[in-house]
Amino acid sequence: MIQPMTAKELEYIADSMSNEDAQIKQCAALVATGTTPALTSLASQMIQTHQQHYDSLLHAISHHQQMAPTQPQQ
Amino acid sequence: MYQQQQQKQSVLTEEDLAGGILSDLKRIVREYATAATESTCPDIRQLFTKLTDNTLALQGQMFQAMQQANMYNTASPALRQELDKQAKQYQQTKQKTNQFLQQTLGGQQSQTLYTPQMQQSSQQQQNGQTHYM
Repeated sequence: MIQPMTAKELEYIADSMSNEDAQIKQCAALVATGTTPALTSLASQMIQTHQQHYDSLLHAISHHQQMAPTQPQQ
Repeated sequence: MYQQQQQKQSVLTEEDLAGGILSDLKRIVREYATAATESTCPDIRQLFTKLTDNTLALQGQMFQAMQQANMYNTASPALRQELDKQAKQYQQTKQKTNQFLQQTLGGQQSQTLYTPQMQQSSQQQQNGQTHYM
């Protein structure tokens, strides 16, 4: 049984997606400009993991959308 | 226009980029751990716990890759006398705490979680049950 998401949890999820997005871009910059094969191949694998994290976080929001109240609760 | 297309080189060096990614990963691990402890929904807590684990693994891989590429100076080893000092001091602290436990609870034994593979067998032979106690 899933409970409604708290405002705090939503804040953490949103901040986390910003973090994951920034990591994707930083890793892409490393893949594009790097010269050490071990680092560039790791960075390109990491892009996939960060994309997966991002999607999981986005999924968590969509899962909780239905049961979220539309009026502030006290 | 042409110059922009040709100039693929970043202003930051590879080491700068990798260092930035590594330090962000360290921060993100902490943030995920904090988010997990402050989550109310079990499914959200589980998600943050998994993300903590995954990000910790990424940070470890990044650190190793940088270390192998000589981009990371490992911290200098702690001196023997410092280890001796801390071990002695915390041995005393432990004894005092055990006395406190004896007085308040009537005595309970704890088992160490630190059991490195190499030391395990010889330690086991010596004291039979627990290691580094």
